[in-house]
Amino acid sequence: METKDQKKHRKKNSGPKAEKKRKRHLQDLQLGDEDDARKRNPKAFAVQSAVRMARSFHRTQDLKTKKHHIPVVDRTPLEPPPIVVVVMGPPKVGKSTLIQCLIWNFTRQKLTEIRGPVTIVSGKKRRLTIIECGCDINMMIDLAKVADLVLMLIDASFGFEMETFEFLNICQVHGFPKIMGVLTHLDSFKHNKQLKKTKKRLKHRFWTEVYPGAKLFYLSGMVHGEYQNQEIHNLGRFITVMKFRPLTWQTSHPYILADRMEDLTNPEDIRTNIKCDRKVSLYGYLRGAHLKNKSQIHMPGVGDFAVSDVSFLPDPCALPEQQKKRCLNEKEKLVYAPLSGVGGVLYDKDAVYVDLGGSHGFQASDEAGPTRELVQSLISTHSTIDAKMASSRVTLFSDSKPLASEDIDNQGLWMPKEEKHMDLKTGRVRRKAIFGDEDDESGDSGDEDDDEISEGDRLENDSSDDKTEEEEDAEMTNKYKYVTVKGIKRQKLEELEEDSEVDLPAFADSDDDLERSSGEEGEVEEAEESSEEEDATAEGKQGILESKAEESGETGLWPASHCGDHVNLEKSLLLEKAALPTSDSGHSTAEEAFASENESEGSSSLSSEEEDSENEDVFRKKYPKPSQVGSGQNLESENLIDETSDIEDLLKEEEDYKEENNYSTETLGDLKWKEELSRKAAEAFLRQQQATPNLLKLIYGTVTEDNEEEGDTQEELGGLFHVSQPDGGCKHKADSLDCSRFFVEAPHDWDLEEVMNSIKDCFVTGKWEDDKDAAKILAEDEELYGDFEDLETGDVHKKKSGLDTKIEDVEKDIKEEIDCDAEENAKKKHLDKKRKLKEMFDAEYDEGESTYFDDLKGEMQKQAQLNRAEFEDQDDEARVQYEGFRPGMYVRIEIKNVPCEFVLNFDPHYPVILGGLGNSEGSVGYVQMRLKKHRWYKKILKSRDPIIFSVGWRRFQTIPLYYIEDHNGRQRLLKYTPQHMHCGATFWGPVTPQGTGFLAIQSVSDMMPDFRIAATGVVLDLDKSIKIVKKLKLTGFPYKIFKNTSFIKGMFNSTLEVAKFEGAVIRTVSGIRGQIKKALRAPEGAFRATFEDKLLMSDIVFMRTWYPVSMPAFYNPVTSLLKPVGEKDTWSGMRTTGQLRLAHGIRLKPNKDSLYKPVLRQKKHFNSLHIPKALQKALPFKNKPKTQAKAGKVPKDRRRPAVIREPHERKILALLDALSTVHSQKMKKTKQQRHLHNKEHFQEKQKEEEEKLKRQKDLRKKLFRIQGQKERRNQQSSLKGAEEQLK
Amino acid sequence: MATQEHCLSYAGCNFLRQRLVLSTLSGRPVKIRKIRSRDDNPGLRDFEASFIRLLDKITNGSRIEINQTGTTLYYQPGLLYGGFVEHDCSVLRSIGYYLESLLCLAPFMKHPLKIVLRGVTNDQVDPSVDVLKATALPLLKQFGIDGESFELKIVRRGMPPGGGGEVVFSCPIRKVLKPIQLTDPGKIKRIRGMAYSVRVSPQMANRIVDSARSILNKFIPDIYIYTDHMKGVNSGKSPGFGLSLVAETTNGTFLSAELASNPQGQGTAVLPEDLGRNCARLLLEEIYRGGCVDSTNQSLALLFMTLGQQDVSKVLLGPLSPYTIEFLRHLKSFFQIMFKIETKPCGEELKGGDKVLMTCVGVGFSSLSKTLK
Repeated sequence: METKDQKKHRKKNSGPKAEKKRKRHLQDLQLGDEDDARKRNPKAFAVQSAVRMARSFHRTQDLKTKKHHIPVVDRTPLEPPPIVVVVMGPPKVGKSTLIQCLIWNFTRQKLTEIRGPVTIVSGKKRRLTIIECGCDINMMIDLAKVADLVLMLIDASFGFEMETFEFLNICQVHGFPKIMGVLTHLDSFKHNKQLKKTKKRLKHRFWTEVYPGAKLFYLSGMVHGEYQNQEIHNLGRFITVMKFRPLTWQTSHPYILADRMEDLTNPEDIRTNIKCDRKVSLYGYLRGAHLKNKSQIHMPGVGDFAVSDVSFLPDPCALPEQQKKRCLNEKEKLVYAPLSGVGGVLYDKDAVYVDLGGSHGFQASDEAGPTRELVQSLISTHSTIDAKMASSRVTLFSDSKPLASEDIDNQGLWMPKEEKHMDLKTGRVRRKAIFGDEDDESGDSGDEDDDEISEGDRLENDSSDDKTEEEEDAEMTNKYKYVTVKGIKRQKLEELEEDSEVDLPAFADSDDDLERSSGEEGEVEEAEESSEEEDATAEGKQGILESKAEESGETGLWPASHCGDHVNLEKSLLLEKAALPTSDSGHSTAEEAFASENESEGSSSLSSEEEDSENEDVFRKKYPKPSQVGSGQNLESENLIDETSDIEDLLKEEEDYKEENNYSTETLGDLKWKEELSRKAAEAFLRQQQATPNLLKLIYGTVTEDNEEEGDTQEELGGLFHVSQPDGGCKHKADSLDCSRFFVEAPHDWDLEEVMNSIKDCFVTGKWEDDKDAAKILAEDEELYGDFEDLETGDVHKKKSGLDTKIEDVEKDIKEEIDCDAEENAKKKHLDKKRKLKEMFDAEYDEGESTYFDDLKGEMQKQAQLNRAEFEDQDDEARVQYEGFRPGMYVRIEIKNVPCEFVLNFDPHYPVILGGLGNSEGSVGYVQMRLKKHRWYKKILKSRDPIIFSVGWRRFQTIPLYYIEDHNGRQRLLKYTPQHMHCGATFWGPVTPQGTGFLAIQSVSDMMPDFRIAATGVVLDLDKSIKIVKKLKLTGFPYKIFKNTSFIKGMFNSTLEVAKFEGAVIRTVSGIRGQIKKALRAPEGAFRATFEDKLLMSDIVFMRTWYPVSMPAFYNPVTSLLKPVGEKDTWSGMRTTGQLRLAHGIRLKPNKDSLYKPVLRQKKHFNSLHIPKALQKALPFKNKPKTQAKAGKVPKDRRRPAVIREPHERKILALLDALSTVHSQKMKKTKQQRHLHNKEHFQEKQKEEEEKLKRQKDLRKKLFRIQGQKERRNQQSSLKGAEEQLK
Repeated sequence: MATQEHCLSYAGCNFLRQRLVLSTLSGRPVKIRKIRSRDDNPGLRDFEASFIRLLDKITNGSRIEINQTGTTLYYQPGLLYGGFVEHDCSVLRSIGYYLESLLCLAPFMKHPLKIVLRGVTNDQVDPSVDVLKATALPLLKQFGIDGESFELKIVRRGMPPGGGGEVVFSCPIRKVLKPIQLTDPGKIKRIRGMAYSVRVSPQMANRIVDSARSILNKFIPDIYIYTDHMKGVNSGKSPGFGLSLVAETTNGTFLSAELASNPQGQGTAVLPEDLGRNCARLLLEEIYRGGCVDSTNQSLALLFMTLGQQDVSKVLLGPLSPYTIEFLRHLKSFFQIMFKIETKPCGEELKGGDKVLMTCVGVGFSSLSKTLK
């Protein structure tokens, strides 16, 4: 019984178990894996058709290559600038909230108000600059140009708005930054399904606009007025790990998104004239390419400027130093937004507010204590030395007495005045730094003659001068010491400052001396002989004299002393000139420099390390002991080496001294700040002294570009003295032969053996380097690859196994020799061998398939490495000179002549961008572009209507001409842009590189509700002239016609004009072609022409010509940033004629012929067809006109005779007539009666019917009522029943 | 747009070519004052005027203002245009004077330049056409300026003072230049030369060759000096002869030297033997100076390094010539480019004098003339 109850086992037919079993079964049957069809059924996958195979192969290759991007050299710096994140969206979409949430997410700080860019540290290697973008199209355009990432906020409850699409279009034109959509207001959806649908719809629309698969982020809802933490966190993660592809425009131009602005104008100037041009400094991270000092920049919304000064500052929002930890320390989560008042300071138009807490950004400076109130030093100045900087500080904080900037410079900061010197030999203009206190030296001008004995020596190295002076000073009293130290060291310092200001590597004076001395040594023997001791005494003397002078005369005239110096200089130069009579160029060439170096044994050599070391020595001697000059202020130099600390102390000392003397009004904080400067300066000086070789100074030491200011040097100094310029000598050089050949001045004697030997190795016959010597390389290779193992046979081939025994022997010998040498490190060699073999293997297998693309990529990578490595070991000051300011640096840019409105109407909400311009991008010319009207723009564009373009960094209004290129390359003017087609456009404006995208808008002020972008396109060509033509038809009329020849008049006005057009093709309106032959005498301007057919007098003859159009040179930058706050989006430029007409109510008087009139059609009157009789006759009967002959008069014989009745007959007829009348009357009456009767009957019937209907209706009503009552009753009863049941 | 401070100003006519060429490339206007203002014959000379005219021919929209005495020149550059140009150079200077500047400008034209220059092909002052052909063209190839149309052809020779030579130079255009790393000049593997003679006995050339070989043979056996005797129309208007030598290294560096006879009626007659020997010695001097670039072409190499992409370029040079030094200064004022200059002392090796390693980062120059289609 039990067995029967059991169910029978059923095999599993589905599920994993069955699958497994089946597989096993198949395996048992040796059928293999079922999944791999290729294996299971190899025949099906065999090559069926070679052509198809080839095609599929091609296709895969195509797809592969399509993925490639053109490789570019990776120029991103090691420490990249913060990534610009633009948060964009229509109003009330939640931009500010998102920014606040993001900032809180990264830094745990809440910003109350966000104004301008906010820079935060978002990760160990990434910083972000977040900026909000409103709906002003100016702002949108500007920010699209600098954005790296755009967070595009979309109100999901509303859908896409025009701004979003506009911004997308702007981005597309100006290089496509990464775009991430963010959907907000998702909590307004009640139904989940609707939400889903909306999400999907928006996502797909977004994808068509950006690219399929573009990231769209959903912010589901707000919690306490903020987005949900987790979502913001995720968004932040996305941003921090995002990768960017470099955009062409951004990587080829330096640019700065300024996060701080400062007005440096002299307050006195502003007081006297409030509208005066301002001098401003702007701060920000440099991005894109390297920025060179003195280069041209464009400020969108303001205009073009030349950078007057650039300096780099310590990073206010630096990345964490050590990166051992995984995540950021709380202290490292910095936030920097000076315009928003974060980072310590808030800049208002006329006030500065200092935020005392809540920021980690400036804790270091917090320790400085008294400097707290000094905004400058708080923010940026703990390190840089910059005279301009200082001047800015002075102007800002000169509370009581307003000082002119020059005064301030001279008194407080020892800014040197410039004086130009002309070097006799080189003809270069040199700028000597002259200080207000140098008048102290005036005394020694008289005594200069004494020193003239050692003229040559006077042209010694500055440093040696200093040294000797210093030595002398050491012996003197303390007072003297102070004074002299000041005199000289300040000079040094000033040079430094000046140098840093003009971005020069070297110290003008000393270099020149170097150069000069080198030249002299090359030529003049005596100069070389002069010993250092002599120098010392001479200089010492001078030093004493100077000090005396300083002691005694305070108000002496410094030019006098200078003149003395100058005389001295001139003399020495004359000497030099004598020594160099033949040299055309007059330069001390590099060769000379070398020569001098070789010869020099004494004090000053030109380009050698000795020089540097000597300088160091000099420095050491100069500052014998800190205690000598001791003061209490050398505390902070612990970490520096002794020398520098000494110097630093000394410098500090001087600074203090100066300060005390001249600037007692300053606070203690200021002094400290200045100490920093001096210390830095000293350090920089030393570094540079060691780093830069002297050849560099020789070339760049004195600035050549100062030549441009040469004209001013003629001015009188101090109103008394005229600087004597060695014009004659200069001219001699400046006007000498312009030749690039480098003539040998001191030829070697090539017959001498040693001279010949000196270039022996330059030839292939000479000795080779170890790594290139063929014999050695061969030997090494032999050693490494001498024995090998045949893998196939397993044989181990030793060196013996070769075929040629002789060679083998030789090889063996070589190998044995080397083996003897290298026995001790045999193991190492073995490893080496293995490594080489492996490399060979790798090379064969990995890089065997190296394509052109891979090679190119490798090359780029190599170049990128070289770029990084080249200047890596140098410090920033030196690097900046060679490379320019590299991206990632926090820089301060000074700009002069900025319109006052920029400062007065400064609105931090608007981005201030400084876009660097490439070479000749500052010039103007004709720019040709390919343009297409935007398909969403409602109107077409008209030629010569002013329109606003955004090209490169610029936004400007200009007058374009539209044209189309004919098949023969002719550029034909168009009156309007085509509707759906590209056309050419040319405008007169700033030259921008080819390939740059642009967009056009009709107006930047917010008046249009529609899509604002009118056209987009790309720059094709730049030129200084245009070739656009328009068609011009000249018409004439024949006045005499022969067979094929006609005389035409009215086309030209003179014989000359005709002569110009001889041979030209003409045509009549009816299409008869012809040619102009020759002018006629009789009516002026008439000519003979031949045609292919005879003309009619009524023909009009015309000639088609092309007339070049001219173009208005109108270029008007959009200065939207200069508008008052709140009106920045109301900029309007030149109006179109249409707008003007509308505004002034002028109606255009149209040409009468052009007016449309109602068409009046006259009734066509046709004449009757007349067929000649002869023809009619000839026609067959069928076609003969069958006009019916008119009924003629009835002939008499056919006419019926008149009936005359008898009286009886007449009576009968009358009776019959009467009877019939009566009868008809009767009939009529009865008919009438019957009709009436019928009518009555019908009415009666109708009435009956009505009555019947009414009755029926009543009946039905009754019935229904009863029925209703019944139903109701039923219902009631049922309810009652329910109730009863309930009860 | 072009502000006043934008304009650069110089005095004197020296280095006129550099200034105008750099001005054209950088787009900055330049003003040159006091051109021979103290001279008995003030103002621009014929050859300079001819140069300015040439510049006008190959550009579009340049503005050139010269005052009445010719002592002041204002040059506002236009765009480089190119195309087919013919130019009669002044016989006061050789074609090399003009060609040197054209080499600097030619790769950046709107249309590829093809120019016929007529005048003096070889003289004693400027680098001759032969030398430029042998040294400057390979140098440009290093920067990626290459192609079939890149050539310099000497159709006729003309010696001073008469001239009558003709040269055809054509150059393709490039939008960007490649950065170079020329730090190893390699070793000289061969010496080639060209001994030319016009309107003198053809034997002169052979005499030059023999004497030059006598000196150079001590260093390297692979020497071949071609003799080029031009006749009839191709020989120009004045008699003369000369020699140019080029040493080629294993790494493709070309070093050159040249000498030409004194022009007819000026100075004493030169023996061809002396000329050959002296020229050979000059070549040895040049080898002594060394470097990866010939001393005459230093500035050209530096210019193209400057005009490269924003990448590091390096070149090893011999001692800098005064022309180059001034050129470096001009580069600084026009392009704000400063070179890193490192001296490489000669040391133990027997490879001539000290060398200079020049390093710079290009300005990222892109030619604004080229048309996009």
